[in-house]
Amino acid sequence: MELSDEIEISVPVQTVYDALNNVDILKKCIPGCEELVRKSDNQLEAKVVLKVGPVKARFSGQVTLDASRGPEKFSLSGQGNGGAAGFAKGGADVTLSKKGNVTVLSYKAKAEIGGKLAQLGSRLIQGTAKKLATKFFKSFSEVVVEETA
Amino acid sequence: MNDMTPDRNERQANLKGLGSSRKRVEDLRFTQGKGNYVDDIKLEGMLHGDFVRSPYAHARIKSINTDAAMALDGVLAVLTAKDLEPLGLHWMPTLAGDKQMVLADGKVLFQGQEVAYVVAKDRYIAADGAELVEVEYEELPVLVDPFEALKSDVVLREDLDPKADGAHGPRKHHNHIFTWEVGEKEATEQVLDSSDVVAEEMVYYHRTHPCPLETCGCVASMDKVNGKLTLYGTFQAPHAIRTVVSLISGLEEHNIRVISPDIGGGFGNKVGAYPGYVCSVVASIVTGLPVKWVEDRMENLMTTAFARDYWMKGKISATKEGKITGLWCHTTADHGGFDACADPTKFPAGFMNICTGSYDIPTAYLAVDGVYTNKAPGGVAYRCSFRVTEAAYFIERMIEVLAIELNMDAAELRRINFIKQDQFPYTSALGWEYDSGDYHTAWDKALVAVGYDDLRKEQAQRVEDFKAGKTRKLLGIGLTHFTEIVGAGPVKNCDILGLGMFDSCEIRIHPTGSAIARLGTISQGQGHATTFAQILASEIGLPADSITIEEGDTDTAPYGLGTYGSRSTPVAGAATAMAGRKIRAKAQMIAAYMLEVHDDDVEFDVDRFVVKGAPERFKTMKEIAFAAYNQAIPGIEPGLEAVSYYDPPNMTYPFGAYICVMEIDVDTGEHEIRQFYALDDCGTRINPMIIEGQVHGGLTEALAIAMGQEIAYDNMGNVKTGTLMDFFLPTAWETPNYTTDHTTTPSPHHPIGAKGVGESPNVGGVPAFSNAVHDAFRAFGLRQVHMPHDHWRIWKTANDLGLHG
Repeated sequence: MELSDEIEISVPVQTVYDALNNVDILKKCIPGCEELVRKSDNQLEAKVVLKVGPVKARFSGQVTLDASRGPEKFSLSGQGNGGAAGFAKGGADVTLSKKGNVTVLSYKAKAEIGGKLAQLGSRLIQGTAKKLATKFFKSFSEVVVEETA
Repeated sequence: MNDMTPDRNERQANLKGLGSSRKRVEDLRFTQGKGNYVDDIKLEGMLHGDFVRSPYAHARIKSINTDAAMALDGVLAVLTAKDLEPLGLHWMPTLAGDKQMVLADGKVLFQGQEVAYVVAKDRYIAADGAELVEVEYEELPVLVDPFEALKSDVVLREDLDPKADGAHGPRKHHNHIFTWEVGEKEATEQVLDSSDVVAEEMVYYHRTHPCPLETCGCVASMDKVNGKLTLYGTFQAPHAIRTVVSLISGLEEHNIRVISPDIGGGFGNKVGAYPGYVCSVVASIVTGLPVKWVEDRMENLMTTAFARDYWMKGKISATKEGKITGLWCHTTADHGGFDACADPTKFPAGFMNICTGSYDIPTAYLAVDGVYTNKAPGGVAYRCSFRVTEAAYFIERMIEVLAIELNMDAAELRRINFIKQDQFPYTSALGWEYDSGDYHTAWDKALVAVGYDDLRKEQAQRVEDFKAGKTRKLLGIGLTHFTEIVGAGPVKNCDILGLGMFDSCEIRIHPTGSAIARLGTISQGQGHATTFAQILASEIGLPADSITIEEGDTDTAPYGLGTYGSRSTPVAGAATAMAGRKIRAKAQMIAAYMLEVHDDDVEFDVDRFVVKGAPERFKTMKEIAFAAYNQAIPGIEPGLEAVSYYDPPNMTYPFGAYICVMEIDVDTGEHEIRQFYALDDCGTRINPMIIEGQVHGGLTEALAIAMGQEIAYDNMGNVKTGTLMDFFLPTAWETPNYTTDHTTTPSPHHPIGAKGVGESPNVGGVPAFSNAVHDAFRAFGLRQVHMPHDHWRIWKTANDLGLHG
């Protein structure tokens, strides 16, 4: 499954980039995030409650960040295990570019899911993923703008 | 008194014997909600089991932590492979000579594989407990394509020595299971090389699932006081299950009682032994309490036996006039993670060598390679005899492809290649002896019934209209003439786990002239209680309404191999007739004694014995039954009972001619079945109404398979069709009207000439529906497109052929 979109945030590129590396901001913006802990420079540990159709489960997993090409490019990958509900893994490439006074954030994400999630939720996954991504970036842009103001 | 005697026809009708459309006696309880299925069984103190299943299709198990589950109030036990290992029950033998994990032993090989078994006070606690079991997996590369599996370095079955032979001979690769060859390879290749025309095609029969409305389940109850285990379950072969349970558990067979209660459809899904049965038995032995396990729908579709999944590469050759000269087939059979196919032991690809079909093909060769993949094990005969529907689909597609190659009408091509009536008994190039048939008569009757010539004219006009932009609908005429091989089978070459595939019937006549008959089979909806009583009524002259049929309790019924592969009527039905004849033989002696004549001076007449030449002197079977219990007859034991174990001399070969007329909307991919004509020849017809019902049901399952039903996997090994939202089960909405018809060519070796019919409509129906789809696009260059023909795939076919402008 692949997702891509772009949004505009009215703060400079560096600010957006810093926010993407800020665990507190991420935690606020990730839908259903219960815990997000930095384990090392590029390792995070997360607990997220996800609901897809009839399946609701608490996923715990690791997220690896790659900030080596910042602040214009930023990527992350991760995998999570939801026990009986199944598992998910995936990643995203984020590109930040300047457009006048705003930053254009575009992303391409890929995800694979397995287990009960894949079976029961298969026809709902694409829609749910899109909704979650939209929700994340909407709160992200709001929070970033708020904190800078 | 004799003036009051009803006439012969009336007496015959009163029996409701062979040929009577007697109403199903089972339906009284089924239609009033009084059936007794496994899940209706509730025993004192009964516990419930549920599985922890793998979300991964291929993974190593690093650890299993059951602490949290065990801590849950109401959970009594959590079984893992480690707990079963000391009992030697962490693996179990399969019907195909392989072995299968009962609970994951170090790794998992398919999604949904059983990892741990939670036993709790109720079903809900068991499910909650299963969620609390923590399993740590390490993902391994997944193989879902059998062709890739045969090339891959990834070893699926690390438990097997790659150099050692499998159950069916040498293995070529660590993911290879067996090669099975029949016929003459070189001779066939020579014929193909030297023939005028050769058509070649890959025909895929996709993976699907029998999906009975009632899922699999059992209740195991170990009585620790008397040491007896009672196992209730959805078993299509209760006696074989008893023997298997005894062999793998070490319990003596007389201490095991297996009961198949009412079964809500089987279609092959309930032939095998599943981990749920083993775990429930162990849990009952450990706890001393009854344990119930019933699958949910997802578990049924994902893990219990699938059907088909055959990649059949074919070559068929003919003269330019269309006379077939040779047939070659190589099949790659995807068996999943364990080889748990349900086939007679000597036939690892079932009776796939019936793939020469209804045609007189002088030279043929078949090879089948079985392959391990990361899919669920199984490979059962879903409403067909062992791999017969694959064979029928293969040959009926190859005939159509050959017709295209020859630019010939497919009905005519069939006609000139049919085995002729005077060739029976006919020995096929792949080794079967067809017992009887009259294919030309059936075929001509079918073509006339549908108005075949006019249909072709209409179709040609439709193509013109389509090209002229006047319509967006195409017309397909799907032809099929199938020949089945059912009634496994002769003990000399048919056994399962060493058990000969005979079947049995035991009859007791009661003093007042009613009777009970018990058989080694078990009805799952076939109507045995109705039809077997009819066979007996005609044989012993007591009304079918006075005969109780009982099956499924191994403590009372005689040993038999169960119900699948259309074997009940050919085998147990024959045993019933033969046991009935033993009753009649004794009745003859009693009648002669009562009439004070010699045994040879009386003859059987519908419901009585009459003195030859003096029909006014007679004793009815009712009178004879009473005499058997109240008179001391010199030289004859009291009572009137008989038992027969019937070892059939040959299989039976039902056949049929099916024609499907289908409209296809090129722009939406939707189809409409305008007409479906099904002519079946199942030999002697026992109950025409039940036959019609069987044909309707089987055709509807065939419709499902051909037009949408499949078990699909993604490349991670996820089952994409694990619920009835995605797995197609037709309802009244999708089901067309059917016209049924028949010819009658009795089997020469069966006591009453019956051949079996329950599976014919699935075997013949699938190619009829599929050929209709293909035929609609024939004028636009379509040769072969794989099933299922759902709306999207039909739309895509039209699109690929450039029909969307």
